[in-house]
Parts: sequence; structure tokens; C-alpha cells
Amino acid sequence: MDMLKLNVPNSITNDKLIDLYKQMWQIRLFDEKVDEFFAKGMIHGTTHLAVGQEASAAGVCALLTVEDKITSTHRGHGHCIAKGATPDKMMAELFGRTTGYCKGKGGSMHIADVEMGNLGANGIVAGGIPLAVGSALTAKMKRLDYVTVCFFGDGATNEGSFHEAVNLASIWDLPVIFVCENNQYGMSGSVKEMTRVENIADRAQAYGIPGEVADGNDIIAMMNVTDKAIKRARSGEGPTLIEAKTYRWKGHSKSDAKKYRTRDEEQEWRKKDPIKRYKEVLIEAGLLTEEKAEEVRLAVKKEIEDAVKFAEASPQPTLNDLLTDVYA
Amino acid sequence: MAKEVFMPKLSSTMAVGTLLQWFKEEGDPVEVGEPIFEIMTDKINIEVEAYEEGILLKKYFQEDEEIPVNTVIAYIGTEGEEVPAESPGISGEDIESDDSATTNAKHEEVAENTSEITDNSVDNNERVRATPAARRVARENDITLNTITGTGPNGRIHEQDVLQAIQENTVLVTPLAEKIAKENAIDLSMVSGNGVHGKIEKADVLEFISSQELPTNGDAPVERVKLKGLRKAIADKMLESVRSIPHVTLTSDVDMKKVIELRKALLPVIEKQTGYRISYTEIIMKTVAHVLGNHPKVNAALIDNEIVYNQDVNIGLAVAVENGLIVPSVKQANKKGLAELTKVSKELGAKSRENRLTPDEMRGSTFTISNLGMFAIDGFTPIINPPETAILGVGRIVEKPVVVDGQIEVRPIMVLSLSFDHRVIDGAPAAAFLTELKSSLEDPYSLLV
Amino acid sequence: MREITYLEAVREAMSIEMRKNEDVYILGEDIGVYGGAFGVTRGMIEEFGPERVRNTPISEAGIAGAAVGSALTGMRPILEIQFSDFITIALDQMVNQAAKIRYMYGGKGKVPMVLRTPSGSGTGAAAQHSQSLEAWVAHIPGLKVVQPSTAYDAKGLLKAAMDDDNPVIFYEHKLLYKTSSEVPEEEYSIPLGKADIKREGSDVTIVATAIMVHKALEAAKELDKEGISVEVVDPRTIVPLDKETIVNSVKKTGKLIVVHEAVKRGGIGGEIASVVAESEAFDYLDAPIKRLGGAESPVPYNPELERAHIPQVPDIITAVKETLNRA
Repeated sequence: MDMLKLNVPNSITNDKLIDLYKQMWQIRLFDEKVDEFFAKGMIHGTTHLAVGQEASAAGVCALLTVEDKITSTHRGHGHCIAKGATPDKMMAELFGRTTGYCKGKGGSMHIADVEMGNLGANGIVAGGIPLAVGSALTAKMKRLDYVTVCFFGDGATNEGSFHEAVNLASIWDLPVIFVCENNQYGMSGSVKEMTRVENIADRAQAYGIPGEVADGNDIIAMMNVTDKAIKRARSGEGPTLIEAKTYRWKGHSKSDAKKYRTRDEEQEWRKKDPIKRYKEVLIEAGLLTEEKAEEVRLAVKKEIEDAVKFAEASPQPTLNDLLTDVYA
Repeated sequence: MAKEVFMPKLSSTMAVGTLLQWFKEEGDPVEVGEPIFEIMTDKINIEVEAYEEGILLKKYFQEDEEIPVNTVIAYIGTEGEEVPAESPGISGEDIESDDSATTNAKHEEVAENTSEITDNSVDNNERVRATPAARRVARENDITLNTITGTGPNGRIHEQDVLQAIQENTVLVTPLAEKIAKENAIDLSMVSGNGVHGKIEKADVLEFISSQELPTNGDAPVERVKLKGLRKAIADKMLESVRSIPHVTLTSDVDMKKVIELRKALLPVIEKQTGYRISYTEIIMKTVAHVLGNHPKVNAALIDNEIVYNQDVNIGLAVAVENGLIVPSVKQANKKGLAELTKVSKELGAKSRENRLTPDEMRGSTFTISNLGMFAIDGFTPIINPPETAILGVGRIVEKPVVVDGQIEVRPIMVLSLSFDHRVIDGAPAAAFLTELKSSLEDPYSLLV
Repeated sequence: MREITYLEAVREAMSIEMRKNEDVYILGEDIGVYGGAFGVTRGMIEEFGPERVRNTPISEAGIAGAAVGSALTGMRPILEIQFSDFITIALDQMVNQAAKIRYMYGGKGKVPMVLRTPSGSGTGAAAQHSQSLEAWVAHIPGLKVVQPSTAYDAKGLLKAAMDDDNPVIFYEHKLLYKTSSEVPEEEYSIPLGKADIKREGSDVTIVATAIMVHKALEAAKELDKEGISVEVVDPRTIVPLDKETIVNSVKKTGKLIVVHEAVKRGGIGGEIASVVAESEAFDYLDAPIKRLGGAESPVPYNPELERAHIPQVPDIITAVKETLNRA
């Protein structure tokens, strides 16, 4: 059977394309499961779900090596999975168990996997942006080849830290890619209400760096725009600001009646489901069938169920763990 | 090396001690625990015991000399050892904290320790103001803080105050008595000592043990309080007085009409001048002081078979305090006006009740007045305050019918009771004194003449 | 031994380390050819170049975060915040990121960085350039806080701070920059968390920080003439705090006075007093603990008022006498 050649970066193989389809389901089903557990009161604290935003996390991270770094946000489960984290240790973290990525001390908002280049989710809006710049500064000073991808939301671009950090990266030509996942709302505040510019990416002009607008629900578009930014970063030309226009299907956090937006609007965006769109592309390209796609989904579902079992079977920390890891 | 023997500091107010008598001569051997001399402080007489054994090498002071605390009084050492020709002054050893001090100046709890609970150190809830360090030391030494006077702000008790109290509170006990007490689990503070200065001896402990075993006074419940402190001091002094002095008491009625008028007239004047309200006591005191000038035999003292006629008239004023009686002295009362007498008397009264009297304020009286006029008492037989010759008891002023110029009139009458020492004077001079006192009070303006 | 200034000691410690360790670099505002607002980095850009003596825009939050991020990824940055007052602008990065990263990540990752910053009043710079906010950061688990009082201590403590794998806030007192003491030319380290008894005494313990160490020593000298023996303890680092040395000193003297320049209310003096009150030294306390600290006002401009704002030698002398009932 003939296969259409998809317009993707050269480094992306066909196997990788299927892997990415699986990864998008991992992201979605992980967050759906978390949503279910929070609804049932099985997990405490709060959480922020990235259902509907799978394409940007998967698409951007598809271009990264293990050496490359990311910084993430409070809505970070997807970035974490895309950067190579496994659902079992993530679920264990949400269950507060010692087998979690942070031994149960970080929770949903602070999952990090420093060895895999994930410098951490962040509970402070825009808090990770200067960190990403610092990471890029290390690469530059140590003459290392890695790039740092900095994920943040539309709301973060109204924080001073964003502007200070982008300016620093710009004047020092740092190898960092700022990825703004514009999911249209900073909690309840819509982008239209809170910013005057049409595109977040327009703000790049103020710092003399390229600003790219991309369809955040199109994984292939995300891969291509990221590829370009990474090439620029690795060649020492400096940072790029990418704006991925997308939408979060769920509320801001677990207790959100979503009064600030209409159900019609939500339905419009659901029609742009990034997983469904990608599946259609893959089927059209002859890389996937409906049956295979369903197999992938069911396999991921099983994986998430296993992750839950792993988490539930994992030990709780002891009180002795309270005071460890405060200082190195 | 010869060890210093020095004047112990036995209380927080003690600055000097008077050497009353030596028990040892130079060259005498001295045993540990043996009394070497006796001293008198502002509160009490005590024997000072040796803490070292050896030969009493040198005595630097004679009997009756006043010696500042910590001054080296003598040396104990070995035969022929060199010692300074004169007292080197203040001892290099600190008796308050140094166990190697050569004197063991332990003594019965004196008045100070039992009565020095001041308003400052105890608040209404009986909670003691004390630093953590003071509490720790008190705890370690099983001392109750509310028996200690604090020297800090608001009477706060500091560590040093407790250390001082420990020094002063040590129970005097013979080693054998202590051993028996320990074997029988007896709290020595419950035992009265009958040895020298209340030292607890074997017999005292045995008696205590037997008293605990035998029911007394049928089955009636009793509370036993050991005679100690101020109470003990008063007991000793009163007993000494009645045992050694042949008392005779004379009484006389006094018409106080004019004294009442005089007081009424002077009250606002003196209050404005001194802030204190004059009472009858001061008018009586003034009159007594004046009349004593005319009767020097009544203002005398019998000391060691000598009658000493005092030049000054110092009036002792008996003041009732919690748990006892204190007699501060109004010095040269004959030379003071009523305003000054009022001020001095009130201040001494207050200081007595607050236990703030200085040694000087507590000694030197030549004649004492005891006023029970605030009670329903007319006449009584006061006990002389030795070595004085006489004491005046003052009763209440009460309206009585009296015959004046053949007419019955109601007059304010007060009974005066004069006890005198029949060894020193006889009935006639005592009666002459009381008679002049009576007439002077009935016509107080005569004092101005 | 040669004497150098506190300022030179700080610079020397950094320079020695930067010659040895390529991962160490310094970033901050005007630290390049200008040499830093107080001249601490003067000459360093000439020796180490603009890559490692990295002049930054006026972006405290941004540069603090960049320091944290670079520390997390293998560098050992020294961040100079021009005035300690401006730490407020960098606090999110220091408090919410630097201090917490290791713990939040379950012991993975570390943030080996030093935030150096001049603090204190006495220069007439008034309310926004004179504060002593060390208690703010001392409150945050995950940060260490150093306050050297002498040139010798500054060099040794900065070495220890640079060697430490945690974020360390290193307070330099402006008025101490020009003070001198004997400082070895070679490298040495003073462990963080080890107090220094700057003067031994038996009657009262004064725990003083930074410039107050010198005022306490001056007061001690005066009091010595009256037969009062003062022990002056310089904690040198307030996190970690050498509780043992302080407690032992108070056990010895039975009295404690804490002196710092920072506003008394909520200052580190309260923490030190509490440490002692909670410790075995409590039973040795023979007077109420006293704290001397800055007045409850912003730092005023007028020189008289500025002096009155913070504890001075006569205040310390009075406090000692009150504590000893000798007032």
C-alpha cells in the first residue's frame, strides 16, 4: 500500500509518528484518569489537566533529545509524558507515594525528572521561564549542544518574569525556545480580555526575536515550527517565541464551573480534537488503520490502569521523609 | 598553710558583726565543728565554729569590737606557723560560696528568713517572680522560693538570692543526729534543736521520733508548728526578761481631754507638713521623752552589774508584725518635735511591717512604749525590753464618769501601765515619773514651758 | 599577616574560586566595567571577561531565575543583587524556586548558587536602599543565610557559600566594606553554621550580627572598665544557626541580649531568643532576654534619625546594665 510522504521534519521517522499517536493518547488518558480520581476524591490537592492540548506537548518534544531540557507549568502532565516520563511513576507521585518522580513530595504541580531533562513543572505562573533562560545560559557557557524548551501559558506572558527572561535570552542569544500554549484562558481571564495584541507571538518583536504562530492542535505543524526554532537555537542565533493556539477542554483546575465561556465554544474546539485530526492524517498517509488506532488506544488504557495499580501498591513516605531533601 | 577565720556574713543586711566572746585562746587546739567565738549580728547571737582543725595561731580582735563581714579575725594552722602580725583585712575566701571556708557559720533560721516574704516577691496568686536560674537552683536544693527575698526589679528572685538563702537556711545539726534522722527518714526541718543556738542533737531527733509514735492530747487533732525564727527570738527574749528582772507594774488613769484637743489642732498642720496623720502614740512619746529628762533613773539600763544612765532618750516603739513583735527605736525622741516624731514613727512602723529595718533602727532604745489602745484594753503588765529599766503600757481612751471639782463629768480616760526593774529603781521614783507623765498629758501645754 | 578590606576579601574569595572552577561565574547589574555599585567586582571583568562577569539588564526577577536555572543545570553562579532591598524583586525565584526545587523534586537536582547583596543603613540612602531583610530569607527552608562581620570571616564564609550545593544568601554590610582585618592570602573555608565567640566573658552573652558585632565589642570594652564581663557571640550564619554555641554561652552567663540592625519586630533576634528559651539554657537564665533591633519605621534619611533607627553602643551598654540590675 502506498504511503503518502508527510511534511514532517527529517528527524521524524514513521515509527516515531506512530509513537507520537500513542503518546497523545497517554497524555489524554492519563489526565482523564486523574480527572476521574479527583472527582472520586481519591487524590488530594488539586490538578490542572491538559486534555485537548496534546499536540503541542507531543509535537514540540518530538524534536528533543534526552540531553535537551524543558521547563513546564502547573498544567504539566503532558509535557512530562512527552519528555519521556512514564505514567506509573507520575501516577505514583499524584498518589503521594515514594515511587513517584518526587517521592510524593511534589505532587501534580511539581513533577520533575531532571535526569531526563525535565527541569520541572511549576506552580508559579511564569516561574519556569527565567529558569529555562538559566538552563540555556549553562548550555552556552559550557558550550553544550542542548536546547531548552520553555512551556508556559498565555497568562504567563503578562508576568514581568516573562518579559525579563525573554529579554535576557534575546540579548545573550541563548538556545531557548519559548513555547506559549495559548489555550485562550488564564484561569478565567480570556486572552482577548487580558492582552491587546492579536497574537502572543507578536510580543517577540519587542525583544528582537522571531515570533511564530502555530496551530497548537496540529501536531505536525507544531513539529515543523519547533524544528525551525531548534535549528536557530543550536546555531547560536538565539531564542524564538512560538505561540501554539489551542484550547483546554477541561476547567482550569478541579473546581471550575467554567462560567467564563460558553458550551458552544467548547463544542467548536472539540471538533478540532488534535488526536482525531492526527489519526485521520496518519490513516490518510497509510501509516495507521482504524483497527490499529483502537489497538493503540486500548493498549494505552491498559498502561494507565497498570500505572494506577502500581501507584496504589506503592509505599507511603514515612514521617522521617519530612525533613530530608530540604538541603543538598 | 594557715587557714583564715573570718567574720561570716549571715544575712543579706549584715555588714558588721560584734565579737562577743572568745572560746579559745591563742595556742589552743581547735577541732572541726568546735565553737571558737561568738558574735552578735543585728538579728541574732551565734557561735562561729571552726571548719579546720589545728592550733588557733592568732586572734586579731578583742571582745566587743565591731568587725566588718569577711574580715580575717584569726588564723588556724600548725604550731609555729607564720601569720601576719595584723589582720590582712578582707578574707581572700568567699564564705558564701566556698566550701573550703574555715568557719561553718550555720545557724538556726533567723527572723529574716521566715518573715522576708514581701509584697514584692509574691503576687496575689502567690506566684513567685523568679528567674529560671533561680528556680533551677531552688529546685536542686529543695528550697521554697516564697521564703526568699528577690533583689531584682519587682522583687524578682535571681540565682544569687537563692544561693544566699541556702547559705542562711542551713539547718544546724550534729553529724550523729543527722545520721539518725537519715536512718529514720526524718525531715530535720521538723525537729527542734535544743543544743547551742538550736543545734539539733541526737536527743532531739530521738525525742521527735518518740513524739511521732505516741499519741498526745487524746485523739484531738492538733497542728504543730516548730518554734523558730522571729517567734523563737521573741520567746527567748521574753523568757530572759521575766526570769532575770523583778517586774513591778504601776497604773494610773489619765484624762486625755486636752491631748485630744491638741491632736485635733495639730493633725492638719502635721499632715500638711509630713503627709502623715499624727496619732496619740506620738504625743505620748513626746511627753514620755520630755518627762524622762527629769527622771534619768528611769532612762537607765542594767548591764553586767552596772547601771548605765543613758544621755540620749531613745524610745522603743513596739510594733506588731506578722508572727511577732519588733521594737524599732526612735532616736533622741526628746529632741524631736511632734511633726518629726510622727514622720519617724510612721516610717519605722511601715518598715517594721515590711521587714526593712536596718540594724541601727532596731537597736539603742532606752525606754519602750507598748500601745494596745486600739484594742479594748485598759491596763496591763508589760514585760521590760532588756536591758532597759522600764516600759510603758498604753491602754485605750474611753469615756468615763469622773469627779471634777466636785461634779461628775464624762471625760476621756486612758490607763497607763508602767513596769519597772526593781533592781534598778524602787517604787517611789517610778511612781514620781508616772505621776509627772500623767499631769503632763493632762496639761500638755506645760511641755511648751 | 597582611590586612585587607572586607570588600577586597569578598572579591578575592570570588576571584580565587573563578580561577579554579570554570563553572563559577558572576552575574548582576553594573558589575562589569563599572565594577559594581560598591566596587566589589572592580577589575574582575578585565580578568575573567564578560562571559563570566556577566553584566545584566535591570531585571532582578529575570537574573535571579537565570541564576537558579543555570545552577540547576550545572553552573555555580554568584548573583550580585545591587542592594539587598532589591531582593524583594527577586524573591519569587529565590523563595518559590531556588529554595524549594530540591525538596519538590524529591531530592533530585540541586541549586548551588550564592546571592551576594549589600545591606544595612548608615549611608544616607534612606528607606529603599538601607534595609536589612535577612529574617525574610532566614524564614525559608531551603535557603542558607550568611552575615559576615569581618574581612576574615567574609573570605572564609564566601568560600564555604560557593562550595555549598544550596542557594546561599550572602549579606555584605555596606559600612563594613572598608573595614580591614588580617586575611590570609591563601584559600580557606569557614563552615556555615559555626558561630564565632568574638570576645569571651562571663556576665552576659550578647549575640550580635554583622555590624552589630563591632558595636557589641565596643560596648563590651566600655563595660569592662566597670568590671562587667561581656561575651560577644557572632553567629556568622543565621541559617544554619549554631545553636550549640549560643546555648552554651547563655548557660555560662545566664543572661542574653540579642542585637541586630534589622527591625526588631519579626527579626532574627526573636528566633535566637526563642531558641535559647526552648533550650536547656532556659534553666540558667537569670534575667529576661533582651532584644535590640531597628526601630519600627522605615530607615529615615536625616542622619540623626538614621542613627536613632538602629541600636548604638550606648543602647547596648544600657541594655547590659539593665540585664545585670546595674542600671
